[in-house]
Amino acid sequence: MSLISFKNVGKSYGEFKALKDINLDINQGQIVSIIGPSGSGKSTLLRTMNGLEEINEGQLIVDDHDLSNPKVDINKLRKDVGMVFQHFNLYANKTILENITLAPRIVLKENTKQAEQNAMKLLEMVGLKDQANKYPSQLSGGQQQRIAIARSLAMKPKAILFDEPTSALDPEMIGDVLNVMKEVAGQDMTMVVVTHEMGFAREVGDRIIFMDSGQILEDSNDPKAFFKKPKEPRAQQFLSKVIGH
Amino acid sequence: MNWSGAYTWINLNYLLQGLWITIQISVISIILSSIFGAILGIIRYSKISKVSAFVGFLVDIVRNLPLLLILFFSYFGLPQIGIRFSTFSAAIFAFTIFESAMLAEIFRSGLEAVDKGQTEAARSNGLTYLQTLRYIVFPQGLKKMIAPIVSQFISLVKDTSLATIILLPDLMQRAQVIYGQDTNYMIPIFILVAATYFVVNYLLSLFAGFIDRRLKN
Repeated sequence: MSLISFKNVGKSYGEFKALKDINLDINQGQIVSIIGPSGSGKSTLLRTMNGLEEINEGQLIVDDHDLSNPKVDINKLRKDVGMVFQHFNLYANKTILENITLAPRIVLKENTKQAEQNAMKLLEMVGLKDQANKYPSQLSGGQQQRIAIARSLAMKPKAILFDEPTSALDPEMIGDVLNVMKEVAGQDMTMVVVTHEMGFAREVGDRIIFMDSGQILEDSNDPKAFFKKPKEPRAQQFLSKVIGH
Repeated sequence: MNWSGAYTWINLNYLLQGLWITIQISVISIILSSIFGAILGIIRYSKISKVSAFVGFLVDIVRNLPLLLILFFSYFGLPQIGIRFSTFSAAIFAFTIFESAMLAEIFRSGLEAVDKGQTEAARSNGLTYLQTLRYIVFPQGLKKMIAPIVSQFISLVKDTSLATIILLPDLMQRAQVIYGQDTNYMIPIFILVAATYFVVNYLLSLFAGFIDRRLKN
């Protein structure tokens, strides 16, 4: 059954069409990588999935919530769909532990003890248990991003959206973040990942979406075959540039 | 110059009572305008279409009027339409209106200076708009606002001396009463009053520095 379903979705900023006629169904448990050149609409597409961007045309249903309906209760949906950002966006005024426990306490009404126990388990999973009482600014980018993933997981979501999660990191830090993402992928989580990490897309992903100029040009359920030889000429050209150097 | 004549117990006590009025007016106006300023600033920040625009319009009007005019209006103007205040209340009314408008702009720009990514993260985390404001944006914005808010408070303490003109018996007005008796008292009294305003305002900025450091740690 599809968890996320786009039907003829369009999105424009004034004259500029950021998304054109998007049709896409993402099933529960799928690991979907969205790739493509800058400005192709990858991040915009991802951000429509939890309502950070509104759509102008078509129908978008995420976890039975109709995002094309202006009256939809977006907060209900966001409980179940986490998001990890390029620039981490950890709460600067909260400690690491508070970053993870805030939403479970306020939104899910967990008691503090329960939320903290759960947070410590997640911190252990991402290998940062000893950082619990620090503030985000005291951590490296890679550590902050692992915390951001833990923060999303603390809500026990059905899906997590990743918006270029490794693009702002030093090369040395990328591996640690990808390892955490692989571990999350192993837990049967639905993941939609906008990425330039072709290795991750090929090895961990179940599916590749290639976008250009606001359109989905290729949608492949066989990442290995896609990376060997994409069908679309534009995708071939893109891959030869990305992988060729 | 007559220093010993100016600094008699009676005069000092008389000035001290004036200082007490100045402090009361300042503290009450600071508390009220902080509350109204924060509410108006948040409404401006929230962009609730027409309401925010209307608040913006009012704030702009008040910010561009001289405080003295507002003071005259509340003391002389309002009784014309049947609203009568004591001198004390008229002064508080005028200062609160003026300071609320000034503080609303400080609150708005402080909130807008918080990185938009913080709001996006909190909303994506399932927090409502108001929860995001309360737990994430407001506390972070407040850190950026402390310095301008305190300089606004210091301006307010100084501006209370304008209420002399509606005969509020504050520090400044009482100083005038004393040197009105004998011009030889004038310079000693000016020096004493200046020192008093300085000490009050300097303590206020020290306190602000202390709060600022506490928030940053």
